[in-house]
Amino acid sequence: MLIIGTLLLVLYRQLVTEQQAQVRQHLLSEAQRYQQLSLTVDRRAFAAQIRASDSRTALIAWQGGVEMVGSLTLMPENMPLLPNTREFPIFTGGPEKLHILTGGVVMTRYGPVLIATRTDHLAALIDKFVSAALTALALTIVLALVVGYLFSKGLLSRLVHYNRLSERIEKGYYNTRLPVSGKQDEFDLLAAQFNRVLDTLEHNLHAVRGVTDNIAHDMRTPLSHLRIGLEQLPYQPPERLAERCGELTDELDHCLATFNAMLSLTRIEEGQQALELQPVSLHDLCADLREMAEALAEERQQTLTLETNEDYVVSGDKHLLFQALFNLVDNAIKYAGEGASICIRQRGGSIEISDNGPGIPEAAREKVFERLVRLDPSRHEQGSGLGLSMVKAILSRHHATINLTDNQPGLKVILNFPRA
Amino acid sequence: MKILLVEDDATTQEYIVKGFLEQGHSIETAADGQQGLMLATTGQFELLILDRMLPGLDGLKLLAALRATGDQTPVLILSALSHVDERVKGLRAGGDDYMTKPFAFSELLVRAEKLMQRGQSQPAKTDLRVGPLRMELLTRTVTLNEEELLLQPKEFLLLKYLMEHANQVVSRTLLFEAVWDYHFDPRTNVIDVHIAKLRRKFEDLGHGELIETIRGAGYRLRKGY
Repeated sequence: MLIIGTLLLVLYRQLVTEQQAQVRQHLLSEAQRYQQLSLTVDRRAFAAQIRASDSRTALIAWQGGVEMVGSLTLMPENMPLLPNTREFPIFTGGPEKLHILTGGVVMTRYGPVLIATRTDHLAALIDKFVSAALTALALTIVLALVVGYLFSKGLLSRLVHYNRLSERIEKGYYNTRLPVSGKQDEFDLLAAQFNRVLDTLEHNLHAVRGVTDNIAHDMRTPLSHLRIGLEQLPYQPPERLAERCGELTDELDHCLATFNAMLSLTRIEEGQQALELQPVSLHDLCADLREMAEALAEERQQTLTLETNEDYVVSGDKHLLFQALFNLVDNAIKYAGEGASICIRQRGGSIEISDNGPGIPEAAREKVFERLVRLDPSRHEQGSGLGLSMVKAILSRHHATINLTDNQPGLKVILNFPRA
Repeated sequence: MKILLVEDDATTQEYIVKGFLEQGHSIETAADGQQGLMLATTGQFELLILDRMLPGLDGLKLLAALRATGDQTPVLILSALSHVDERVKGLRAGGDDYMTKPFAFSELLVRAEKLMQRGQSQPAKTDLRVGPLRMELLTRTVTLNEEELLLQPKEFLLLKYLMEHANQVVSRTLLFEAVWDYHFDPRTNVIDVHIAKLRRKFEDLGHGELIETIRGAGYRLRKGY
């Protein structure tokens, strides 16, 4: 609105200035003509020329002696010398009695000559322009108000709708989603983003529910063993007492370790745990890994081989990285079965841990990274079920990737560390 | 040997005091940070056992204040916080060792005695003897009743640690730390498997019973059969 107003104002100013410049130019050229005329002709011829002048081009008046010569019967007072001009009114006998003239005086050999031109048509033009502009402005205002009202009514109704939906979410209906129209406007982008946040939240809520159920399952067994054990402890024969207490302590330690692992996992995942960064050689990690795990493999008549090629040094927390790698190898040993062959292969920033055991079906390969998820529903193998979640969290803190692939047969875990 | 224990939990305090008294150590206690710092700076102690979370003055702050006075008494930090970075924080603040609650007293004893021995300069040993076992540290040879035991490097380290703590129960955590330079809970029987291999070599020479398994606690090397 303001812009339109300003534009019109500028246009108006330009129009007026332009017209004024034209008038002045016209008057000046007329003045020049009469000035030169006065130098070439005598007084009478000059008067004749003035009398003969066309009043449509310019109105000329000359005080030739006692009477006025020219279109005007009297010389207005205080007329400025051209190129300065001023407006003055005159009366005529015609239908439109009052006219507005613009003019100035030029000095010639025979005295001052008034040169003027009618400018009332100009004023009329400007008046017309102004009224047209005002009408346009008024129309624009009305139109803008109408459009604005309709537009904001649309926005407001969408906001009200969003608000109602968010109240639903607040009440616990986490499957609520905001509508996204095909218009792809800012509101749709906002709604889509909001929906993505809701997706993540809902997924996490489900995960937490799953974790809670799994904790209950995982803890119930050792805790009920403990309960039974404590209850029976007074009736144990004295020579069995020490051993029985030891067994119960083991059960309790298992529960505590699971709790500790859960806490550590959360801290690593959320980035609360500060990493103790230092240069870590992947070759050395793998060599230590094999040395530690070899005895475990031997116990199950498995072979554990190590192949390394071009060392690679990453900046990382060696304790956490070793924990992650050990976990993967330990899993391979646990699940590949008796007599399997397991291989740790390190080449530059890539580490592969492969076995020829039963592997993991493709559909389950993402699931194993979730907390407390174990593919064996009976949970036979001892473990917290947090291992792979921990592995993933540790690797992602080190910007490394992990992929589970088919080793045909068996499982191949591929880790890739970023270029330093 | 005199120990100062700064611990606000009465049950834990009683458990630790009883344990050290039974082992013939003398021990004093403080139940909050201020009192602990007072005692630590005025008394003569060979070891400070410090709880991480204390009323009044936090354990790490107490430690920092103590170290600021130039006091170099060995400090063992006890904490319910088991995260690796907590351990690092404790050691950076001037702690000499870090232990997570809950713990077995036998492990605390081993760690405490190790810290107290550090102050005394001992001639570097070249061999260890426990009953019929003999370990030459320079040549890395181990004999049992004059018969040589062929050990792999990690088995050698395990046995060395057991021999240094003969007749004491050593936990899996302690053995793990002694052999591998990684701090984490492997959550698997990796130590048991290595001990089992070591024990088989003892059995081959007819003395498998020298390495005892103590359920719920760890292992113990017997001084004789």
